[in-house]
Amino acid sequence: MKQWLKLALLAVAGCSLVWPVWRIARALPPFGEPTGNYGPEVNRLGPPLRHISNMVSAVNFDFRGIDTLGEEFMLLAAVTGTVLLLRGIRGEDTSAAPDIIAGRALAGRAESTTVICRLLGPLTVLFGLYMAAHATVTPGGGFQGGVVIASGFLLLYLGEDYSAWRELIRSHIVAALEGGGALLFALAGFLPLAEGHAYMENTLPLGDFKDVFSGGLMLVENVGVAFAVAAGFTMLFLEFMEETRSLEGDGDK
Amino acid sequence: MSVLPWLVAAWLFGAGIYGIVSSRNFVHLIGCLSVCQSSTYLLLLGIGYRWGGVVPVFYDHPPGTKAVDPVVQALVLTDIVVGATVTALLLAMAVQVDRKYRELDPQKLRPMRHEGHQ
Amino acid sequence: MNILLALLFLLAAGAGTGVVLTRDPRRQIFAIAANGLVLTVLFFALQAPDVALSELAVGTAATPLLFLVTLAAVRRNRARQ
Repeated sequence: MKQWLKLALLAVAGCSLVWPVWRIARALPPFGEPTGNYGPEVNRLGPPLRHISNMVSAVNFDFRGIDTLGEEFMLLAAVTGTVLLLRGIRGEDTSAAPDIIAGRALAGRAESTTVICRLLGPLTVLFGLYMAAHATVTPGGGFQGGVVIASGFLLLYLGEDYSAWRELIRSHIVAALEGGGALLFALAGFLPLAEGHAYMENTLPLGDFKDVFSGGLMLVENVGVAFAVAAGFTMLFLEFMEETRSLEGDGDK
Repeated sequence: MSVLPWLVAAWLFGAGIYGIVSSRNFVHLIGCLSVCQSSTYLLLLGIGYRWGGVVPVFYDHPPGTKAVDPVVQALVLTDIVVGATVTALLLAMAVQVDRKYRELDPQKLRPMRHEGHQ
Repeated sequence: MNILLALLFLLAAGAGTGVVLTRDPRRQIFAIAANGLVLTVLFFALQAPDVALSELAVGTAATPLLFLVTLAAVRRNRARQ
């Protein structure tokens, strides 16, 4: 299809949708005055029912836990698809030498970068673990903590060479953590089934309000999600970085 | 002010679609897709907001304080993380397309035919 | 709070348009990172710190890095062929 035809179709569609969009924008409840009832009910019933203070985590892991199970497996599927695509052509061998393109200047790594990354990398990973562990009391949770942990590993890559980073991050361990996290989440739902309740019903002891160990089954699911997300993102970084490595030989940089 | 978030979300979505249609590079196209995704985040969070509402985390203020909607926040939260991994999948596909055809321009690639590609 | 939220929404619209209008992929990476930062501030102002944390880590660290490494891989593949 020719390009001008595509743009003309887009213009026609856009112009015909301007008025309906305006009508819909007027018909939605005005910004700041929501009319739904589900949210305020969750806010009202969450703390006494589940003894936790982070309502967003409660919705994610308890009230709509099966939703999050689906999202978790979507993440697993996307990471698996990427790994398959990239490794299918490249093969399973790994190499530590970067590919040099002729004619481009090669800048060395500054020492201040290494120092700052060595200071901040482990701190970021620790912060991510803290955020993932305190899912039920303060803003945080498995998803956020997992991504912060993955960016902490990325800081470690920026500070060291690629070969040193590969010594730290081995693909077998990362792959095991990722699959293991998703498996832990799915299996956490089977625990109440063994006691005669519904799948993923919160039957573990609920703990005290504002305590770290509150929320029952939510903590187990949270750990699973944190592992899966952190390892998933690290695996993505690894696979994409391997695309820029050279195929022959393994020197060091 | 009361319809601004919905209009901004519609504008961002339209801009993203225009970027996808008129793009000349696959990597640029995937960036425009992320703009479309962010328009849905704005719409969802705008629906849940309440004037004078606080964060729906009852740690510093007691439960029962008027708070914003936590359900839409939970939806957007997982959406952001999963959206990033889907972006990675699309980027891997772009790398494969370039490896096979040496071309990243969507307007220069043609659908494959029976007797081979061109 | 009224004016702040309105200005942040308009800034988010501007940042998104900037991502679309930047045609060169290497420059678009910075536009994507800036968009992530603007969205983080907007989500924070909308009383959603969980969402802001996710968007910060993903939109400014993970996504620009993936784009960067994709461009490097494309360039390397073309140089090898």
